[in-house]
Amino acid sequence: MAAGPIESAVVESCVVEGRRFGDLRGVQWRIDLGILPSSASSTIDDLRRVTANSRRGYASLRRQLLIDPHVPKDGSNSPDPVIDNPLSQNPDSMWGRFFRNAELEKMVDQDLSRLYPEHGSYFQTPGCQAMLRRILLLWCLRHPEYGYRQGMHEVLAPLLYVLQADMEHLSEVRNLYEDHFADKFDGFSFHENDLTYKFDFKKFSESTEDDKGSEKSPGRITSLSELDPKVQAVILFSDAYGAEGELGILLSEKFMEHDAYCMFDALMSGAGGAISMAQFFSPSPYGSSHTGYPPVIEASAALYHLLSLVDSSLHSHLVELGVEPQYFALRWFRVLFGREFALEDLLIIWDEIFACDNKKLEKPCENDADSSSGVLNSSRGAFISAFAVTMILHLRSSLLATENATKCLQRLLNFPEDINLGKLIAKAKSLQALAVDANNSAPVIDHTGVYGRSQPTVIRGHSHSVDLSSPKTPLGSVVPESYWEEKWRVLHKEEEIKQNNAEKQVPTRRNGWSEKVRMRLTRTESDPTSSIVDNGRKVPKSSVRRSLLKDLAQQLGADEDAEKLIDDENIEQEVPGDVVGQDNNDGNFTCTSEQSGSTGSAASEQNSSIFSDPPSPISDANDHGNRSERSSVASNFSANENDANDNSAEASCTNLEAPPLPSSDPPHGTSVKSEQSVDSGGKGPAGLKERKLLSGKFQWLWKFGRNGGEGTSEKGVCDSTKAVNCGINPDDPAVSSTVDISSNSGISKGESVDQNLMFSLRNLGHSMLENIQVIESVFQQDRGQVGTLENLSKNVLAGKGQVTAMAALKELRKISNLLSEM
Amino acid sequence: MVLVLALGDLHIPHRAADLPAKFKSMLVPGKIQHVICTGNLCIKEVHDYLKTLCPDLHITRGEYDAETRYPETKTLTIGQFKLGLCHGHQVVPWGDLDSLAMLQRQLDVDILVTGHTHQFTAYKHEAGVVINPGSATGAYSSITYDVNPSFVLMDIDALRVVVYVYELIDGEVKVDKIDFKKTTTQNAN
Repeated sequence: MAAGPIESAVVESCVVEGRRFGDLRGVQWRIDLGILPSSASSTIDDLRRVTANSRRGYASLRRQLLIDPHVPKDGSNSPDPVIDNPLSQNPDSMWGRFFRNAELEKMVDQDLSRLYPEHGSYFQTPGCQAMLRRILLLWCLRHPEYGYRQGMHEVLAPLLYVLQADMEHLSEVRNLYEDHFADKFDGFSFHENDLTYKFDFKKFSESTEDDKGSEKSPGRITSLSELDPKVQAVILFSDAYGAEGELGILLSEKFMEHDAYCMFDALMSGAGGAISMAQFFSPSPYGSSHTGYPPVIEASAALYHLLSLVDSSLHSHLVELGVEPQYFALRWFRVLFGREFALEDLLIIWDEIFACDNKKLEKPCENDADSSSGVLNSSRGAFISAFAVTMILHLRSSLLATENATKCLQRLLNFPEDINLGKLIAKAKSLQALAVDANNSAPVIDHTGVYGRSQPTVIRGHSHSVDLSSPKTPLGSVVPESYWEEKWRVLHKEEEIKQNNAEKQVPTRRNGWSEKVRMRLTRTESDPTSSIVDNGRKVPKSSVRRSLLKDLAQQLGADEDAEKLIDDENIEQEVPGDVVGQDNNDGNFTCTSEQSGSTGSAASEQNSSIFSDPPSPISDANDHGNRSERSSVASNFSANENDANDNSAEASCTNLEAPPLPSSDPPHGTSVKSEQSVDSGGKGPAGLKERKLLSGKFQWLWKFGRNGGEGTSEKGVCDSTKAVNCGINPDDPAVSSTVDISSNSGISKGESVDQNLMFSLRNLGHSMLENIQVIESVFQQDRGQVGTLENLSKNVLAGKGQVTAMAALKELRKISNLLSEM
Repeated sequence: MVLVLALGDLHIPHRAADLPAKFKSMLVPGKIQHVICTGNLCIKEVHDYLKTLCPDLHITRGEYDAETRYPETKTLTIGQFKLGLCHGHQVVPWGDLDSLAMLQRQLDVDILVTGHTHQFTAYKHEAGVVINPGSATGAYSSITYDVNPSFVLMDIDALRVVVYVYELIDGEVKVDKIDFKKTTTQNAN
């Protein structure tokens, strides 16, 4: 065919340029998305035919699904009124469909009215809005399993925009090359003064070679083939008499809706490739995925996986803060970065994304028989995740600088405007290969698993294995119950204790310790104000707690042994008197002074009863209990890390509200000690139990230190602990409250770091208040020596009162040190 | 595409306990834009129920209505049509077409909706339409005991109104459809 060589020349030259129709995004994207044939050998004709077919498809879909209930479906028989009345409940009835469509339209309209207001001159025009609405409505009707989700309109808008841009390009070309766009059917252009015998045969034969109908008036204009190939393409695309006639005009205003629908459909359904945008909108797990998570979650996890490969410190930082990837990645993926960049930049990015092939990549068959792992399993998917990682890396410095999860998210969600897009894209391309490999290595999406990997680094030497099997929800739901029940029991127990001052020998160690714990709980529950009320009881309690902490501190045998010993002696002096009033304490304290280990174990057993559901048996199976506590602590830790449970988050909120008592620095010190003891690896079961207690505190400390520090939380921890170590021992009201609070915070993690800081500050304030109150009470007692429960031990109390006052002062000093540090 | 529900003469609680279940299941909020009620509800609870179907509710006073402040007649304009509403016990003889036509001319409406007879009728009369939606609960009337529950749904669309009649006959809902087109000729003044 004569036109063949010219055509192929046109085609080849286009292909050689790399992107076949670089100027015409609409066409290029249609090719990339698979609507138009992408092979180099496809001719313009083929393109036109395919276009025409797709448009026909859309037209018939529209006719079928858009309903005008007044128009009877078949011209002949009018529908049965029983079925087709407006109130009909029949789902098949025309009216039923009409109303369902109306509802969908309302939902779509809500989003459309807010679409791209900065480009409102195009997007907010009624014509454009009507087109968008129809396209979205028809797609959703066609794919009822997805329905309409917010964000689909933002996926569609750039497609329509691109088609519109093509139209504008076309009109520019039309202006420049008017003559080529003349409306000629059979290649002839007859001027009126032509006489047939004057007809120039040479020129005529030239024009017949080009049967696309583009015409050269004799001698005036260059032939079509001499034009810039791109312009040629534009002209050929818009020829009304080419293949398929008007329906085949690739750049057609009339059929913009049809084309946009086809592009949208191809993008959403993935055109048989691996990535289909629709998955990102679906809540149900991707077909052949192993995990039961929605595809967006999977993709987000893959994103973090890639980030961990590329920049593990940033990754661990984000994970520490509890910034889960789907918080920001959901928006990124669902709209393909549409909300992060301006429209022009977005088009460039989408150029790159679509240029990547969407074929599913075959994993090198290792263990899994079923290949497709994950939702991003194609080179296009790899590019998308690589680009997302690049974006995160772009914000690296500001993300690492902030210790606040909310701020991190804010930075991630408000991507800066002034960016070098070229650099980002180049970097993303370099990461793309890595992303492909990352996909192949099949990251485990298990929530605890993904973040469990980073935990060992975060726990900083916490040698406990993360027991991922311990369920978090029971933990979260159990704690509040037992906590409140305990409180109630404590309150009632207090009454009892008030009334009967009888000598209750410790029936079992457990009771004594449970009482201590309960008292501790009441202590934590009661505000500093109530401490004024319970002056008498307060002191012994505080001493109890102090001694408790002393025990713990003892066992952890840290650097400040000397100090501790001194304090130990002090406390031991107090102990007998102190315990008189609280008989259980007596036994316990003596035990403490002798065998700190055993008491510690009892204490921790009690704690474990608070923490984990199955209370570990006190007497036997200490190790058992230890291990369970350890695991529960570990799970606390993981819970802390993972920021998963709403339950526990609420619990934590309530728990943190209720006990206003601060966990001040002393617990930090002890927890550091606990860490050290952990590292030293074994003081026996008791040590483990203490560890549990303290690891709770440690968590708190760690969190606190994180709040205070600048990105190196360890450093912060060490600093605060150093500051605290001196005053660690006489740490009275804080101790038990610390334990509880740390346990609470351990159990419940969902606190934002901000809140922690607030709480810690508030707690600090409370502890200061309490210390002051302790001192006051002590002085009052010294003066009054009346109305205390412990009638027998007044003199001892006096002495103890002094000690407590000193302790409180020390604590105040400590707190001020810490505050100055912060 | 405006849906207007016309019903009346429910006589709840005196003569009937409630709307038939099948009618109630069809009347869901959200589909209907206007409700016009000829009267004889009779109590406030029925008024509230009708309000839940659609906030735009128009009622005229029937002789047994507890609420005394409903108007005797009402006119409203929906689309291109003017609708008139009256209970009908005022128009004597009850249900007589000519007398109702007098009322229609008096109110100057295209569609007149009245009740009281508890029988569904729809007349095309001169330039307009006279509709009686019957009794929605099937309550007995002064005229007859044999009453089928019925109501009317009008689909007003530009110059055309499609009247769907829903009747409960032998426990089954029967629907009938009547088309009216408004002629554009002006009434002589």
